[in-house]
Amino acid sequence: MILKIAFKELKEIVRDGRFRITALIVLLLLVAALFVSKGYYQSVNAQHNEAKVNARSEWTGQGKKNPHSAAHYGTYAFKPKYPLTLIDNGVDKYSGVSIYLEAHKRNEAQYMAAQDQTALSRFGDLSPDFVLIFIIPLLIILIGFNSFTREQESGTLRLLKSQGVPNWKLAMGKWFGVFIPVLLIIVPVYILAAIFLSGIKDYGEFSLGALTILFGVYLVYYAVFTNITLVISSLVKKSNVSFVILLGLWILSCLAMPKISTAIADSLYPYPTQVEFEEQITEDKKKGLDGHNPWNEESKKLEQETLKKYGVDSVQQLPFNWNGFLMQEGEKHTADIYFKHYQLLKDTYVNQSKVYRATAALSPFLPTRFLSMAISRSDYHAHWDFANAAEKYRIQLVGKMNGALMNNSKYGDWDYMEDETLWNSVEDFSYEPPTYASVIGTNSSNLATLFGWLVLSALVLYAAVNKIKIA
Amino acid sequence: MLKATNLTKSYNGTAALSNVSFQVNPGDIFCLLGANGAGKTTTINLFLNFIAPTSGQAFIADKDVVQEPLETKKLLTYIPENLTLYPNLSGIENLDYFAGLSGKKYVTENLRSFLTDAGLKADEHDKRVSAYSKGMRQKVGVALALAKDAKVLLLDEPTSGLDPKASNEFSELLTQLSKKGVATLMATHDLFRAKETGTHIGIMKEGKLVESLTTDQINHTDLEKLYLKHMN
Repeated sequence: MILKIAFKELKEIVRDGRFRITALIVLLLLVAALFVSKGYYQSVNAQHNEAKVNARSEWTGQGKKNPHSAAHYGTYAFKPKYPLTLIDNGVDKYSGVSIYLEAHKRNEAQYMAAQDQTALSRFGDLSPDFVLIFIIPLLIILIGFNSFTREQESGTLRLLKSQGVPNWKLAMGKWFGVFIPVLLIIVPVYILAAIFLSGIKDYGEFSLGALTILFGVYLVYYAVFTNITLVISSLVKKSNVSFVILLGLWILSCLAMPKISTAIADSLYPYPTQVEFEEQITEDKKKGLDGHNPWNEESKKLEQETLKKYGVDSVQQLPFNWNGFLMQEGEKHTADIYFKHYQLLKDTYVNQSKVYRATAALSPFLPTRFLSMAISRSDYHAHWDFANAAEKYRIQLVGKMNGALMNNSKYGDWDYMEDETLWNSVEDFSYEPPTYASVIGTNSSNLATLFGWLVLSALVLYAAVNKIKIA
Repeated sequence: MLKATNLTKSYNGTAALSNVSFQVNPGDIFCLLGANGAGKTTTINLFLNFIAPTSGQAFIADKDVVQEPLETKKLLTYIPENLTLYPNLSGIENLDYFAGLSGKKYVTENLRSFLTDAGLKADEHDKRVSAYSKGMRQKVGVALALAKDAKVLLLDEPTSGLDPKASNEFSELLTQLSKKGVATLMATHDLFRAKETGTHIGIMKEGKLVESLTTDQINHTDLEKLYLKHMN
């Protein structure tokens, strides 16, 4: 009986010209977005690979040089482009693609896509996640807003009820009548994305499982919207009232709530401005050791301590190059300062995330948005993990250079040179992103909230359809 | 087949129906006459369990419609004054849907024969219902009664607004169904049709069943006199 109802709903929907046109537009939008994304990523990926090779050959081919100069010369770490960013680009546009690694300084990632765009980019890009997260819920509302009200208004509900149909079966039939058209749009897009991703060369490892989980999250999100749509349609008597209420709910959950959450998170846990952040770091650096300035107060203190420790009375008598040692100690000190300040930033980020998770209970959009970005590895967390790995690599690289200066050269011998043997001995930067299991782990509360929405909205729907009265 | 015992329905203390009792046997066509608001539609809605009685009971085949709402509905076909179907579906698709909901499965030929028996021409079966006249839609309702193999027909002014020919056709269909043993309860304003088609007549006034008689006890003129006597 449920199938029969669903099939009749589908027949009616398909015969309705409005649906045919809208569904076609949405499908075309999605496919176009996929093609646009694919083209963009292929070109970005090609540039990325080329730049990576160039950076390495510049590092190894820098010629004879003082090792500390080599540390200043530095190299680049490139953030890998993950396969699923084809679907959800997340914050990638604003987070930058490469980090310049040099002595004494932790740099921010550079070359954000947003920098290359005009102010018009504020209008947003045509990306699959935009259609999947914003537009499809609208389509669900368009298909389902009059699911019950249409039958109330025309009087077919009387005839329907006189056949002895239990309300919950009617609701199930109508539910599938709304959900199946969505599936008919989503499944081809899923297949197309899978074909694209497994067909693109050098696209990192593509995991069909992750793509499936991503679409699974979207389907749960759509199920929640289908429930909400049918609840409203069964509670109100008029189609136009139902439509207005549902549009209002869409605006609230997809447009207003995310902005409200951001405002709350920002006012509770504000980030320092770039200038403040840099000032604080400069302030801390001033107080500490400066590897380039042996007359600095802290340097003098360290000199005294070291001389005492080795039982000698001048730096020339030390068994290693004092300059190298001083450089490395300074480096350790600045690295600690950066670690401390970035940790403060991260704490703010973690606190803000908690606000988002709390407000996610108010809108199914939020947990979906976060899960989508996390599974696509384009959220801030993924960027953070990469930046941390790059910093670790930087510390190790600079440490190796300073170590060479300290152990292989004499004090004051600034003309000392190393060659590509040393450069080559530094392993190329390679980065492994967190596993999907850990991604799911850190987002378990978002998953729980989304499933909470699913269960709760289903229960409300069950209660609402049992209250349907025949007018 | 149909039985009302002391059926009463009040809204906020005002009785829309008070202590109505009657019985419709298989093959009977019981016509409820009365002014608008006399309680005819309320009676039918009570049998459909669309509203719950304040007191009293309604039975279909000895089953209480409140206790067994789904079972009793399997036995009946309801044709309201304005039978609305799904305009985007054809007559045969509508019949298939509604018959299917009551648990009956038919192949297309069977569905067509029901529609034909109900008086719908073969070339009309596949037209969208949006192009149907009221009479044609009522015929789909009769076809549904045939398809469901209904034991009970609940009709709420089914012939109002039909032209005399369509009205006559409809009455003939009712007579055929009653010969098959279908018990019919029909609310109507049409005294002539009630006398011609009906086997029993009940006159309602202000929620009460004030007169109950068989049509062979009375001729048309006397029926009209009796009716008007109660209305004034």
